[in-house]
Amino acid sequence: YTAIRDPGRILQFDPFQSLVDEGFWHRLSSLKLDSLGLDQSPISLTGFYAPCSHSEVSNRLTLLAESLPPDPKQLESPLERVHGNRNRCPVPGTLYNMNTLESFKALDRVSLLKMEAQKVEEDSAVLLRFLVISFADLKKWNFLHWFAFPAVVLDPPAMILNIQSAKDALNQDEGQSLSAVMNEWRNSSLTTDVPFFLIIISSSHATVRHLKDWEACQHDGQKLLFGFYDPSCRATNPGWPLRNYLAFISLRYNIGKIQFFCYREKHGFADLGLSLVGEAAVSPPQDWREPQNIPKAVGWQPKPKNIRLAESMDPERLAVSAA
Amino acid sequence: MVLSQKLHEVFKGTVERITGPRTVSAFKEKGVLSVSEFVIAGDNLVAKCPTWSWEAGEQSKRKSYLPASKQYLITRNVPCLRRASSVEEEYDAAGGEFLLGGDDDDDDNDGWLATHGMPKGTKSVDDEVLPSMESLDIRKEGAIKSIPSYFGGEEEDDIPDMADYKDSENFIEADPASSATLQSTYLVATEPEDDNILRTRTYDISITYDKYYQTPRVWLTGYDERRCPLQPELVFEDVSQDHARKTVTIEDHPHMPGKHASVHPCRHGAVMKKIIDVLISRGVEPEVDKYLFLFLKFIASVVPTIEYDYTMDFDLGSSSH
Repeated sequence: YTAIRDPGRILQFDPFQSLVDEGFWHRLSSLKLDSLGLDQSPISLTGFYAPCSHSEVSNRLTLLAESLPPDPKQLESPLERVHGNRNRCPVPGTLYNMNTLESFKALDRVSLLKMEAQKVEEDSAVLLRFLVISFADLKKWNFLHWFAFPAVVLDPPAMILNIQSAKDALNQDEGQSLSAVMNEWRNSSLTTDVPFFLIIISSSHATVRHLKDWEACQHDGQKLLFGFYDPSCRATNPGWPLRNYLAFISLRYNIGKIQFFCYREKHGFADLGLSLVGEAAVSPPQDWREPQNIPKAVGWQPKPKNIRLAESMDPERLAVSAA
Repeated sequence: MVLSQKLHEVFKGTVERITGPRTVSAFKEKGVLSVSEFVIAGDNLVAKCPTWSWEAGEQSKRKSYLPASKQYLITRNVPCLRRASSVEEEYDAAGGEFLLGGDDDDDDNDGWLATHGMPKGTKSVDDEVLPSMESLDIRKEGAIKSIPSYFGGEEEDDIPDMADYKDSENFIEADPASSATLQSTYLVATEPEDDNILRTRTYDISITYDKYYQTPRVWLTGYDERRCPLQPELVFEDVSQDHARKTVTIEDHPHMPGKHASVHPCRHGAVMKKIIDVLISRGVEPEVDKYLFLFLKFIASVVPTIEYDYTMDFDLGSSSH
């Protein structure tokens, strides 16, 4: 395995994958029938993800029954509801559930994506967001849905200077120290679901700090890496969360060459062979700082999905199968 | 659901309601777990294999005899890279015996510990119909290839063309419930621009406590290559053919909505007792907090292709410390 050093290459991000647990649709159905009725207002969701934990399978953003707010009228779903589960880092999102197929198709997906991307730009604490539009057909128990993971477009795009396995990028002492501090970070209920962080490496000794401590520790070490929980398993590309992260770092800290760390696990423990260390060159356009600027955004998944749950939801079929 | 199965469920439910949970340990004598032993073993599994977590589940379905936050265990996104039938063929070719060996099948005619594969030549038609392992082909070629052109021009490619989408109306994908379209959804027909990525079924595996049998019970929730829910019947393709539809059945999950495939727990106690006896005969004193490690190894013989067993490296009893 050799490091890739190619100043002319555009950094490519592995798109986020999504998965909706059956429980989510059950709960959405009862919310629709019991309280929401025909109300099509957007609903705040909490999705969950975790770092990649298998060399061949990327992790995905998952919607569970608990992703929906307990009280449907209270549309702001507070993130502090769920905390401290290492396999469930909360990601805020918005659901637009339409009552008809026509209104689903009529949704202006470009504008919706822009709105969400703007939220990313406004609130740097939430670099990762998602958006779902859906048509829940409660007569046929069909759930048509389409995910987007809004990402701000860097223009010109970020260029990749080098990227390699963390094991190869660091010496043995640094690697061991980094594994140890990451396992500690992941084992503490205070930090286990905090997906963006800083790694400082000094005299072969690694420390993890919160992102907000950047000012305080930028001169502390020989190496400073912007770390994040990477859901992707690709050996040569970082996952989707890095995209907004780079834009944020470039804008907030005015750094042109950003060193990053894609944190990945095996069997629930730090795996530096799978994790990546890389460097990207980012040049933010000037107009980003102008107040009226609305960033260009991308992130719709290529296609919607349709889930049919008549087998498990249709009372008539259930009655037949139980007889 | 078959009537006898239904009746048994009712009977079981009644017994569970009127009898208290087991409080005295019978782990070594009967291979069963008390409620508190289940929690101890679960805590140890979560600590040693942190891809497992405790779940509280739906409030209305909580069991009062278990801690509210520790109702069942789950590990998600577990890959299943190939179907069980292909493993059995390889296994037959290798001529080996499975895991714990079926040395005393006489009183265990359910075949729990039996040698594993089907005799050669009895390959069913289904094997032919099963799609060839596209994912395996990718693996054979070595590394997952680099990113496809899909990422190239950012906005053009990332946002699907609205006009195209409106015209074609092709966004309602093939019916996953219909067996006629199963193969096309199984293969990766839907996202051609993405076909360099390894695609595989994944499973969410959960372990509940079965109060009636006083053992853990394993549930399999499958997802296809597009990460859409897998019809529970298709889970049988990932189950050892000795167990499909016999010891693995499709039932209501005690904590989650919908039907899920489950390894029926009626023989769990007896099998665990045998495993424990084997360990004791080898001079290993089994510890109750390792119960789920042993249990998952036994489950591995039922679902050979789902790669959740991370427990191989751990000591199983006190003498091996």
